[in-house]
Amino acid sequence: MQPAVLEKLRSIVGAPHVLTGVDLSPYVVEGRTPEAAVFPGTVDEVRAVVTLAAESEIPVIAWGGGTAAAAGVAAARAGLVLGLTRLDRVVEHEPGDLTATVEAGRTVAALQATLRERGQWLSLDPPDETRATIGGVFAANASGPRRQLYGTARDLLIGLTVVTAEGAVVRGGGKVVKNVAGYDLPKLFVGSYGTLGIIVECTVKLRPRPDDERLVAVSFDRMKDAGATVRALMASDLIPNAIELLDGASLRALTASAPPAPGAGASAALLVGFDGVPDQVAWQVSELGRLVAATGGRDVREVPAETWPRLARAAAAAFPACAVMRLSVLPTQVADAMEQGGELARGRGMASAWSAHAGVGVVTASLALADGRQDLGVVAAVLREWRGIARGCSGFAVLDTAPLAVKEAVGVWDDAGAAGRIMRRIKEELDPKNVLNPGRFVDSI
Amino acid sequence: MATLTADRKRALRTELEGMLGRGAVLSDPDELLVYESDGLTLFRALADFVVFPQSAEHVSAVVKLAHREGLPFVARGAGTGLSGGCLPAEGGIVLSLMRMNRVLEVDYDNQLAVVEPGLVNLHLSWKVGPKGYYYAPDPSSQQACTIGGNIANNSGGPHTLKYGVTTNHVLGLEVVMPDGEIVWLGGKTRESQGYDLIGVFVGSEGTFGIATKIVVRILKKPQAVKTVLAVFDEVDQASAAVSEIIARGLVPAAVEMIDQLTIGAVEDAFGCGYPRDAAAALLVELDGLAIGIETQAERIVAACRDSGAREVRTAKDEAERQLLWKGRKSAFGAYGRVSPAYMVMDGVIPRTRLPYVLRRVNEIVDAHGLRVGNVFHAGDGNLHPNILYDPRKPGEEARVVAAGAEIMKVCAEVGGSISGEHGIGLEKADFMPFIFSAADLALMQRLKHAFNPQGLCNPGKVFPTRKSCGEAGAVAYRPHAIEEQGLAQRF
Ligand SMILES: Cc1cc2nc3c(=O)[nH]c(=O)nc-3n(C[C@H](O)[C@H](O)[C@H](O)COP(=O)(O)OP(=O)(O)OC[C@H]3O[C@@H](n4cnc5c(N)ncnc54)[C@H](O)[C@@H]3O)c2cc1C
Repeated sequence: MQPAVLEKLRSIVGAPHVLTGVDLSPYVVEGRTPEAAVFPGTVDEVRAVVTLAAESEIPVIAWGGGTAAAAGVAAARAGLVLGLTRLDRVVEHEPGDLTATVEAGRTVAALQATLRERGQWLSLDPPDETRATIGGVFAANASGPRRQLYGTARDLLIGLTVVTAEGAVVRGGGKVVKNVAGYDLPKLFVGSYGTLGIIVECTVKLRPRPDDERLVAVSFDRMKDAGATVRALMASDLIPNAIELLDGASLRALTASAPPAPGAGASAALLVGFDGVPDQVAWQVSELGRLVAATGGRDVREVPAETWPRLARAAAAAFPACAVMRLSVLPTQVADAMEQGGELARGRGMASAWSAHAGVGVVTASLALADGRQDLGVVAAVLREWRGIARGCSGFAVLDTAPLAVKEAVGVWDDAGAAGRIMRRIKEELDPKNVLNPGRFVDSI
Repeated sequence: MATLTADRKRALRTELEGMLGRGAVLSDPDELLVYESDGLTLFRALADFVVFPQSAEHVSAVVKLAHREGLPFVARGAGTGLSGGCLPAEGGIVLSLMRMNRVLEVDYDNQLAVVEPGLVNLHLSWKVGPKGYYYAPDPSSQQACTIGGNIANNSGGPHTLKYGVTTNHVLGLEVVMPDGEIVWLGGKTRESQGYDLIGVFVGSEGTFGIATKIVVRILKKPQAVKTVLAVFDEVDQASAAVSEIIARGLVPAAVEMIDQLTIGAVEDAFGCGYPRDAAAALLVELDGLAIGIETQAERIVAACRDSGAREVRTAKDEAERQLLWKGRKSAFGAYGRVSPAYMVMDGVIPRTRLPYVLRRVNEIVDAHGLRVGNVFHAGDGNLHPNILYDPRKPGEEARVVAAGAEIMKVCAEVGGSISGEHGIGLEKADFMPFIFSAADLALMQRLKHAFNPQGLCNPGKVFPTRKSCGEAGAVAYRPHAIEEQGLAQRF
């Protein structure tokens, strides 16, 4: 980066908030070191930074907690990291409105702590809550097990403020829970990975915290039976807030880190969550016991609340090093896809671990790369076959985590088809100079 | 818009008939008249053609022709919209989707259905009802409005409070883009890759393309339902109760408010058991598991009493529940008893501002020498002040329009929105600057440009234009046909 640009950055945000050289090590992604990292303290400063970067043709990488920093394909040029963690205030929380407005850099955990004081929460449980920021979670469309009942970012974000690629401050949506005035800009920015604008403030819909919540594990000897149970559960009157399906390997990983173990030794397990008033929760837990007795479930037991945050990570936790792929399929196809995918890997001499938000058809698969001796060609072949499974289910698969060489061989994103062309046009309209996080996203956006 | 010569028009008609078949193209002014407005009769505009495609390929062929000719075009569902959204504001072609009304597939195990856009909303719930499922978004026009129209307007209903609006229930869309290309956005899976194109298409008021197939979620019917009526001597108490219910950690399926004027009209007409001397009543519905619903109902009752309710009662049985809902739902029809005409407003405010805003609404309407009845989705702050007036009295309608604009300003001032469900269309295009800056609107324009670069797809809507100012002439409100048939009320 030109020294003059660096000087200007320092004058915008203050010298202590510009990092260079060795201080950049936390921001190295896939071996690439950014040219600088800058931490604005106000929306105006964000604007000034983006404007300067655009003029100087330096790519801008928005950075919240960095939990999704390696998502997608590495940009050709490392660019300028724009850190949002100094923008971390709760601007407004009105319990009677069940809404809150919060700056993008506040961590999810910190926001939840504020809301908890008034008996409320943002009904989103993404991984790494203590690091992940609100803006980052929306930009990456992160979610967790409770999406079964509460949906995802798109269902919760009702308004936002972004700084555009040209340094304009734009607001979309509003702070009311129902609103059809103008286009739904909050939806546009959910899952946009910093490619359309820098999210600086979010207004979210909240929920009251439930009186009670329980997580119940059920073991199965056959994955098929677990799949049939998911189907029966969805057709029942029960209203679970999570339906997590784990294969044997993921289950072992989960239990290794969290005794007392839910049915160790089983080849599949369901972890089902319930919340509500206590008698509702108790009734549902007992109904679940009745339901699984007829579908081959055994060993029904409650597991401690500390298990929740580990659920989504179970597949990745199975191996010291792995590639992680996320497959989107129909709920009824989940168990088959998991079984089939595991067999494909085994057939090529590789170990894998599988888990799913089974009621919504989102499957996470990890492929062991533990000893580093795997042939890149074989790894890529398995991942391509997994993607084939998702496509066969009229879904798609995204490579969430993998060494750069694997990403390049397999492709991170799936084919976006004709919709990809519309996405491209949106990108060109909103970021004509391709300043914001270039190259990382779908269709090389 | 370039006007078509008679020769050109004849040639195009022949071409359209060649694509769609005879009987699928209208071009006589008399026949076109039926399509000159929607549920908001304030605006009227004539098309050159109204066509009735039966497939995505038909729609695509018509759109390609329009594109080639530089003719504007607009999709039309049932025409129940309340903001002029489906009007051919600049002439051209109206594509009526009423012949594309099939349920193509229902997958109960995966809780989804694939439907055509002209399917009437309620018909989907009828179709899946016998197996214990329903389609959640329930606009009160649901006996007539189409799923395609719902998609365009992101429609809501009383149960939006708990279950969300249309956008929360759409998984996939087959869309004919403004250049005629047929594209799938999303599909049957819960997630889709890349930008949330469904999220932006839903609510785009027909300006991003024409949906030709729609994948929606269907939900299991709740095990139990409980309905509570709370009666208040002061409107402020009822407003406070809404926030109190929310603040106590309850999420009812619906919270509706009915004020004194409306209660009087309803009781005159139907006698549903609402106390006439009450300043306001709240109708609160809970649904979900049978077990625990009593506990929740008790909390609702307590929240209402603590806010000053003089009477709170729970419907003993389904018959009493139906009667209470009849009072709520027939409110609009009942205004006919107290006024020759009324105009429905649609705005949203933060729930905690209800007491202030309702006071302001009354003051504004008073100042214009008019009367207002309020019956609305209080739980999510979606106001529907209904201004009563007499269209035969000169100048009265203009005062209604002026009062409406002032009410929208108040919604904007308290951090609310100028539309909760009826959309911007032509009606509120000029109010957009109340809540959006020039930069906000510019970004929306760019988004529109990405989908609709030529601007031929439903032009003149959503964004402020000089034209929309000029056309808002004083025309009397007339009830929509489906209201006259008693099929629906204006919520
Ligand atoms: C008595 C009454 C009560 C009402 N109650 C409610 C209510 O409770 N909640 C609520 O939200 N609304 C309500 N409305 C408004 C209206 O019913 C809704 O906006 C409805 O969704 C419109 O559906 P429609 O099929 O009539 O669409 P139309 O009025 O025909 O069209 C509406 C918009 O949709 C576009 N469009 C139609 N089909 C397509 C398609 N396939 N692809 C793309 N764009 C398309 C049109 O171009 C237009 O912009 C009410 C209206 C009336 C008359």
